[in-house]
Amino acid sequence: MSDLYLSHLWSWALRSPPAEWAIKQLRELLIGALSQGPVPKHIAFEMDGNRRYARSHKIETVEGHHLGFEALARVLEICYKCGVKVVTVYAFSIENYNRPKYEVEGLMQLAKVKLEQLMLHGDILDRYGASVRVLGQRDLIRPDVLEVVDQAVESTKNNKDAIFNICFPYTSREEITTAIRTTVEEYSTTARPHSTPFSQTRITQKLLSQKHERGDSLASIRETSPSPSSSRSDEVEDSVSSSATLHPESPPMRSEFESNVTVYPSAEDITADTIDSHMYTDGCPPLELFVRTSGVERLSDFMLWQCHQNTPIVFLKCFWPEFDLWHFIPVLLEWQWRQKRKERDEKPKRRVKQL
Amino acid sequence: MPLTHKDQEVYRRDEKFGHKLLTPDERRKLIDPYLPAPKKKSAVKTEKKSRFGVRRFLRKQLHLLVYTIIHTVFSVYIKFRQAYHAVRDRIYSVLYYHHRTPELIERDVKGLSRLPKHLSVILSLEDDGRGGAELERLVNEASEIAAWCASAGISRLSIYEKTGILKGYIAETHRAMAQKLAAYFGPSYPALAVSAPHMPSIETPGAVRSSSPEVVPSDAEPKHLSVMLLSAEDGRDSIVDLTKTLAEMAQRNKISPADITIDLVDAELAESVVTEPDLLILFSPSVELQGYPPWQLRLTEIFHVPDNQGVGYQVFYRALCNFAKAQMRFGR
Repeated sequence: MSDLYLSHLWSWALRSPPAEWAIKQLRELLIGALSQGPVPKHIAFEMDGNRRYARSHKIETVEGHHLGFEALARVLEICYKCGVKVVTVYAFSIENYNRPKYEVEGLMQLAKVKLEQLMLHGDILDRYGASVRVLGQRDLIRPDVLEVVDQAVESTKNNKDAIFNICFPYTSREEITTAIRTTVEEYSTTARPHSTPFSQTRITQKLLSQKHERGDSLASIRETSPSPSSSRSDEVEDSVSSSATLHPESPPMRSEFESNVTVYPSAEDITADTIDSHMYTDGCPPLELFVRTSGVERLSDFMLWQCHQNTPIVFLKCFWPEFDLWHFIPVLLEWQWRQKRKERDEKPKRRVKQL
Repeated sequence: MPLTHKDQEVYRRDEKFGHKLLTPDERRKLIDPYLPAPKKKSAVKTEKKSRFGVRRFLRKQLHLLVYTIIHTVFSVYIKFRQAYHAVRDRIYSVLYYHHRTPELIERDVKGLSRLPKHLSVILSLEDDGRGGAELERLVNEASEIAAWCASAGISRLSIYEKTGILKGYIAETHRAMAQKLAAYFGPSYPALAVSAPHMPSIETPGAVRSSSPEVVPSDAEPKHLSVMLLSAEDGRDSIVDLTKTLAEMAQRNKISPADITIDLVDAELAESVVTEPDLLILFSPSVELQGYPPWQLRLTEIFHVPDNQGVGYQVFYRALCNFAKAQMRFGR
């Protein structure tokens, strides 16, 4: 009995205004302190454990999701205050459509209501300078929800400081497949970028030789600056049109070719970056931290393409609705610690190379 | 900042009634103190700039001080944690040792409710693999793991190593593994097949001692182990190659882009690279995938021991235990 009494007393003390004020100041201080060091530019959260939290606390599943949303709001605030540029969250998996219907409906309703609220107070995200993006298979979203989603995306698209990616109905395999498909579409529809019979190298060479003839006193300085750029343009030309650089003297007879044969860009030019640029996360910095809550050590079809290289992945034991600054600080500290060690390890290597 | 308790209750009550209890203005007032100041305000403050500048400077110094303190404390904590984990792992590795006896490993595994059908491990090469000692260590580790798998009854093993040096020495790897299996199992060693994507597999048949009729093999089916060697080029590059092939086919009108589905990509990648493993064991101190094939990682259980250094049987055994306990839940 005394235990219960003590815990009551403790929670009452924590809720008293001075304690709340002190905790608030402490959080501000910690966030300010953490943002002094390196901070990951892009963090992904897999918000797992809402249902199990609800089950363990004997509340309804939908209620658990609501608490999860509150945790999300907390986390977003912490991240943006620390200086994280992009936060990506896994809100809804395509697989989740297999869940009980009322739960799916509840989640959809939650998303709709929250986004509507956000629209009502349009400048909340503006304060953080954050724009909303929705990643995923749009045609699976209910039309009335989709409308709200589009509004939210539209009204915040001018914010440039930060990005909030909501993966909503998303799976990573679907994302990769879509990226492959759009890449294939691009390479099988658009013709080769129009190339002129004029060679850029020849023009720069001519300009250079003209300068030589003039005998400009500053020629030596000017000469050094354009030469690397001209060699770079050579490479670009090589990749774009190989035939033009093969015979730079004779004007190629391309125009006749193009009129009757459709020329596709060479499929050999496709690289990992090409596919990268067709991912939903195009334009975001590389993923630098992946956090999954609730102790499940699996990626579950989230950010596979983005996190499989050298992204530190952290699995936490706590359920998502419990997730707060106190869970996040150790993760961020360890990340900063590793980052500093990585930098320290790289420095001597660089010095060796310079020697 | 989190809402104060009073505000939180107001918010939750409002939420329960579908956000109809409060007017937008009231809600606005509720959250306003928690939002950062709007950006335009900074222009108004210019007249008081000097004072605010001092205040900001002091705050920054305070933050820097706290940052330094936290990190000092944290690095001490990390050192202690690493020491603790090192001691614990040392004890585990003494407690759980295989003694190069398949029967011991088999007994360890017997109590587990389920075993991965397809196991995968990530090994890493240090110092960019200069010098043969690193390669030898790697081959040795790979063949140890192969022997453990064969003993535990896991028939599929894929070994990922970023640079692909093992693939270059596939014949040597195969020989080392066969020797290791013979050392573990004695005269009746399991069949072994070592392969890599786009490379023919090297196989040796298993030997079952049938000369002595009184010895009946414990399980009727002959044991076999197939090992797949993977490297970074089987990850992104294989997806890029698939895209190139598909793009060429689309250019020749053999397929339309709409034909590209998850099933097609999955089938192709499973065919030419590897299928999804059930369990991935990392021997690194933290979880970093080092370019492991992304497509195959979908529902793979990822196991690592925090602050672990090097390949050890205890990590392998704990991974299997952990795998058996974990409940499979699709769709998160």
